[in-house]
Amino acid sequence: MTGRFTRREALGLGAAGLLGAGAAGGVLLSPRLASAAPEKKFKIALSNSFIGNKWRIEMENVFKAALQMEPFKSQVEGSWFNSGNDVSKQSQQISNLIAKKVDAIVVNAASPTGLNGILTQASERGILVVSFDNVVTAPSALKVNTDQVAFGRQLAEFLVKKLNGKGNVIMVTGVAGTTVDEDRNKGADAVWAQHPDIKVVNRYTGMWDSATAERNTASILPSLPQIDGIWCQGGTDGVLKAFISAKRPLPPTAGEAENGFRKFMLGYMDHKVDGLSIGQPPFLSVISLELARRILDKKYPKKDITIPFPFVTNDTVKQGETVFEKLPDSFFTDFTDSGPNATVKLCVEAATDGKPCPGELNVNLPSA
Amino acid sequence: MSTEAAIERRRTGRLSHFLGQNVGLVLALAMLVMAVVLYCAVYWVEQAALPGMFELTSTVNNTMSLVLCGMGQAFVVVTRGLDLSVGGVMDLANALAAVHIKDTVGSMVGWSLIILAIGAALGLVNGLLVAIGRLQPILVTLATLSIYQGLAIRVLPQPGGSIPPVYSSVLVNPNGPSALVYVLVVALIWYAFRRSSLGVAIFALGNDEQAARANGIDTVRAQVAAFTLSGLMSGAAGLFLAATATAGDATTGNGFTLSSIVAVVLGGMNLFGGRGSGIGVIAGAFVTTMIVNILFFSNIDPLYQSFYEGLFLVIAVVLGALISRLMRRRS
Amino acid sequence: MSAGPSATSGPIAPAIEGIKLSKAFGGVQALAGASFSASRGEVHALVGENGAGKSTLIKILGGRLRPDAGQVRLAGANVQIASPDAAHGHGVWTVFQELTLLPWMTVAENLLIRREPRGTLRLIDRARMAEQADAVLAGLGIHHIDPRALVEDLSLAQRQIVEIVRVIVQDPDVLLLDEPTSSLGENEVKWLFGLIRDLRRGNKCIIFTSHRWNEITDVADRITIFRNGGELGTFAEIDETRAVTLMTGQQVDAFYPERPPLEAARPLLQVRGLTGPGVSELSLTLRAGEILGVGGLAGHGHRELFFSLFGAAPISGGEILVNGRRVRISSPRDAIGLGIALVPEDRKTEGLILPMSVGTNLTLAILPQLSALGIISRNREGRAARNMVSKLKIRTPGLRNPVQQLSGGNQQKVLLARWLLADSHILLLYDVTRGVDVATKHEIYELMTSLVREGRGVLFYSSDAEELAHLSHRVLVMREGHVAAELEGPGITAEDIVSAAVREATSLVD
Repeated sequence: MTGRFTRREALGLGAAGLLGAGAAGGVLLSPRLASAAPEKKFKIALSNSFIGNKWRIEMENVFKAALQMEPFKSQVEGSWFNSGNDVSKQSQQISNLIAKKVDAIVVNAASPTGLNGILTQASERGILVVSFDNVVTAPSALKVNTDQVAFGRQLAEFLVKKLNGKGNVIMVTGVAGTTVDEDRNKGADAVWAQHPDIKVVNRYTGMWDSATAERNTASILPSLPQIDGIWCQGGTDGVLKAFISAKRPLPPTAGEAENGFRKFMLGYMDHKVDGLSIGQPPFLSVISLELARRILDKKYPKKDITIPFPFVTNDTVKQGETVFEKLPDSFFTDFTDSGPNATVKLCVEAATDGKPCPGELNVNLPSA
Repeated sequence: MSTEAAIERRRTGRLSHFLGQNVGLVLALAMLVMAVVLYCAVYWVEQAALPGMFELTSTVNNTMSLVLCGMGQAFVVVTRGLDLSVGGVMDLANALAAVHIKDTVGSMVGWSLIILAIGAALGLVNGLLVAIGRLQPILVTLATLSIYQGLAIRVLPQPGGSIPPVYSSVLVNPNGPSALVYVLVVALIWYAFRRSSLGVAIFALGNDEQAARANGIDTVRAQVAAFTLSGLMSGAAGLFLAATATAGDATTGNGFTLSSIVAVVLGGMNLFGGRGSGIGVIAGAFVTTMIVNILFFSNIDPLYQSFYEGLFLVIAVVLGALISRLMRRRS
Repeated sequence: MSAGPSATSGPIAPAIEGIKLSKAFGGVQALAGASFSASRGEVHALVGENGAGKSTLIKILGGRLRPDAGQVRLAGANVQIASPDAAHGHGVWTVFQELTLLPWMTVAENLLIRREPRGTLRLIDRARMAEQADAVLAGLGIHHIDPRALVEDLSLAQRQIVEIVRVIVQDPDVLLLDEPTSSLGENEVKWLFGLIRDLRRGNKCIIFTSHRWNEITDVADRITIFRNGGELGTFAEIDETRAVTLMTGQQVDAFYPERPPLEAARPLLQVRGLTGPGVSELSLTLRAGEILGVGGLAGHGHRELFFSLFGAAPISGGEILVNGRRVRISSPRDAIGLGIALVPEDRKTEGLILPMSVGTNLTLAILPQLSALGIISRNREGRAARNMVSKLKIRTPGLRNPVQQLSGGNQQKVLLARWLLADSHILLLYDVTRGVDVATKHEIYELMTSLVREGRGVLFYSSDAEELAHLSHRVLVMREGHVAAELEGPGITAEDIVSAAVREATSLVD
């Protein structure tokens, strides 16, 4: 179960988010806490829904790691909660966070709309709400996310370039009915439309899950002609394993950020693939945390953030940094950004164990 | 077991009869009291204060949907059945509410009634399939669960829509625990049900279908009615869910199928039918919310929260069964 | 429901008549053109083996079954009784053998179902319901059943009484009772017969079935005997041997078989000072080849004695010796290992697994012997089961049929056969003939004597003193959990047993 069944997104909605009433921060803290803590810390809580897959665990681990690193260590009193995919339970947990009088709530929601009621109440009580990944539609909540249409487009453009605009491509899609799936497909379809010589010979779901993707690919592969390129939303390592089992050559592949996929990019087990690996970064939680800290500190305006995708190609993929031979194939290696303009750089221990990395944590938010 | 022994047996008082015959209800209420006390204790430790109006309000508002669909489930459980389609009915009601309810009195009242009627109709379909088709309730409702979920997705493919703020504040007023009125209404519905011909028929059916029929009870009608009531209550639960969220999502009801069964079990109802109280189910619904609250304030590693929730449930159910067995043996 | 004789058909028309009634279930002809009639002011008994058609007849008259052919007449007029409700409309009410009470509802709810008193908003007034039920029970002389108690908490006898009361309060013109006494104790039977006589005085027609001959002759005015779905005649006077001969179609020399002589006095089972709930300081010795009867008034520890010897009831003191060796019996498993077997009276809750097949039930206790590496050999299982079916004359359509399809007596035999297969040599038979038809009773008696002839020992409790007197080598009369009297010799009579039990009882009061 590595599929991200809950991730939905509704980016098109509500670009506003500047509704927050009243200044957040110390004003709202109870006198008891103010006197108890001589150096006032911002209370920021993470409310997560589902914790049943690797991505969510990494997302929470990097959040925990960040809390133990400066500047968060001295400025933020953090906490985190999981509710499972139960809207009522997450809603009740957020009620408890309101009761606890936290300064900010960072939320990965079980439903884009199901928490609107309670999150609006939180905003009305002066609590800053930052939603990420599966963002909410409540206008008062800030949104931190990636552009999923761009995800699909970038993968497709990579293949177009590799194939010189001509060839057979398969599309392995995600969980039907989710916005993320639709947006990614939309981005790809727009690119295919401009390159009529690229033929999408088959399109089937991999459910964002390596095992499912492998099974579905294996059953469909015998009926397919030569494949020149693979476009895959998730479960990429599974698709490649199906190709290897069928003794097919590995064509250029544009896919997600699974460790297994990136191992093949390095030439794992004598199978090398030319690839582009992009992922929904688990560090969205850290970006949201940073956004909340800066707004509470009055050093950043209340606005939504869209961050670029961290990606690697065969030229940039690097053992120990963006791919890990010792870690399982299902591990998401995009826990950190890389390169000179990286949004945030984290060490692998942060993602696997929630342990702090050496040094300070610098998060490059888009300029205000 | 003999006559002599029977003659010697003294009449027991009303109270001890009530306790002996309503062990499940008594335990559910006791569990709720314990949960509230424990919640207040951990809250005190964490916040140096007792929970106030806000906590009461949010607890009631967040539990209302479960109270309603748990009660719906209770009607079916009494007949020795199980309604797995509860979540699907809620999804559809939720989706319809988010799409259709507009900010006029006519729309709000009209669509609420229409949605409740649709909920009842979906339950009726379940009931007809089970009672007239002579099919297993679990099979029927497992199938209709998927169908109702599919219909809900058709009505509202993407989460969205909106619920008029007035509507939300009438159902789940965020500024005060006025939804307690609805809890009382649900309790009264059960009270009246228990004292109606329909209640007698449904309970008799759950006691022993053959015997009920021999007593001249229309068991087919009773079974259909139980499922219809379940659909109606689930429809209402979907409305409350939409009102709490202030928007629609055709999947948020899914989890309620299981939660409703949990509430029924915590409420001390017997899954083999014929025994139990809806009042206990209301208590059971609140206990599940209290468990969330208690775990929240006791600073348990969130990774283990569901583990502890499960543990709590198992302990509650096992203890309940043990205590009721002991009490029955004594009586 | 009109009381008083019907005016239209003249005073001589019987209250209820069945004319050439037939009913088949699948290939089995349960009733084949049976006719019978009963009048107002009459108590009419229907007797016959199980499967002779009595229950089917009662169900047809009560509207639970519709006949394939034939006619039912009430007070001389042809009627169609399509449902129990239709029967009730004609004043015909039935107390069925299988109880129709709702276990987790109160006595009051059961008595007044669908006729509950209503209060405000037409809601059921529970307080008034309990009062009404109390009044009904008290009016019929029943003071030991609490209307607020759940039926589940009542004894079998109390449930049967509630079942009867529920019908009596409907003021039936024709009352049908299908084996009403099979679960009643002596006092309750006395109460029921008092009630039946009252109804007869009230010019009602009462029809009942029973397997207890003394009851039948005690209360019935006339007896109709059934065999194979047809009636063999109605009698005002008939003796038991003749009746049994008619019922079974075979000449029965003696209803009770000869007691086998008791030679070797090797003790099989010795109990010394046994104490536990319901049993105090009880001692007995069961010898090989002996039928040791246990009698006495119901509720004096018989059941507890039998169940504790089988490890199914706790023991707090005393010792048990099997074949002269001290043993510990703390579970039925222990008992089975020692060759002790229990056949209880309540077949549905103890012993048999009703929905499973006859074959499986027979071989349940010896599965390990029939299996290799945990896999049961179906062949050997079938062979063992078939042997027993023929040896014990178990009447079953096949080995694969579920046990619940069998009649009560045959279910008893299945249970007995299981223990014989397991080679048990100490058999505890607890009221095994209760509710069993005469012919099967006779077979069970013969089986018991042949078992002790093989050197086994039988400890035999029966609520029927007649049975005890005729079959037992010795009879222990129990009172308050211990043996109060021991009767020995071939001359024991039922009167001896009853008077010993009662004498002990009264002497205690003195």
